[in-house]
Amino acid sequence: MTNAWFLYLFFSLGLIGAGIYALLAKRNLIRLFIGIEVIGKGVSLLLLATGFARGNVLLAQALVVTYIVIEVSVVATALALIINVYQHTKSLDIRKLAKLKG
Amino acid sequence: MIVQTALLIGLVLFSVLALFLEDLIRAAISLALASLLLGIIFFRMGAPYAGVFEISVVAGLITVLFILTIALTNAGKEVRESKLANLAFPLFFVIFIAIDAFVMKGLLQKIPSLPAAAESGTFGDVLWKGRTLDLVGQIAVILAGVFSVLALFRKRDKHD
Repeated sequence: MTNAWFLYLFFSLGLIGAGIYALLAKRNLIRLFIGIEVIGKGVSLLLLATGFARGNVLLAQALVVTYIVIEVSVVATALALIINVYQHTKSLDIRKLAKLKG
Repeated sequence: MIVQTALLIGLVLFSVLALFLEDLIRAAISLALASLLLGIIFFRMGAPYAGVFEISVVAGLITVLFILTIALTNAGKEVRESKLANLAFPLFFVIFIAIDAFVMKGLLQKIPSLPAAAESGTFGDVLWKGRTLDLVGQIAVILAGVFSVLALFRKRDKHD
């Protein structure tokens, strides 16, 4: 693999690390979801960089477009779930979800 | 390469800001800026379609959805984040980046590139002919998303 690919791998690992830390340390549901988005950005960057390094940009591009379309669907569903959770518990605190009954 | 590195540094910077800014609206806008930079990186890598999707859909549509949710849920102002976690993040991130750089330096030129067939045709050929099944999957996922949102926001019956 080329040196440029390692540069992209370095930065995408940085994004994934920051996202995982936020997932572990944060308590606000919206913030947790932003963490998932950041991890997704790192993965899509790595996908395209790998395609770029191997001269397969078109295939990598098709996969990234597929990922983006699926991401929109996931975001819409997750934000709808977050709004529903807020309506039920009047809070976005992840710890309150552990106390739900019924 | 220098411009690309600067864009990548900006991408990581705005992503970290999105995770750790106090105000959620500002965090959502930082996430949009990170998407914009990622879109520009895609353009520079010779992937214009992925760049257009990233900028229009992720930086545009998803940011609007985030801001709408933040407005509807009062931004979760009552949630008390752990101060220790916020303080420990810079230390964690610096150590993580150092280990990351160290491992990358050690791996440099050691991962073999497997032989791949040269690509021919256009993006349309690859997407419509080579990845047809993916498109069917995408349509199914979009429909699943639409139905799940409809199910989550349906009007409740009287006996609920």
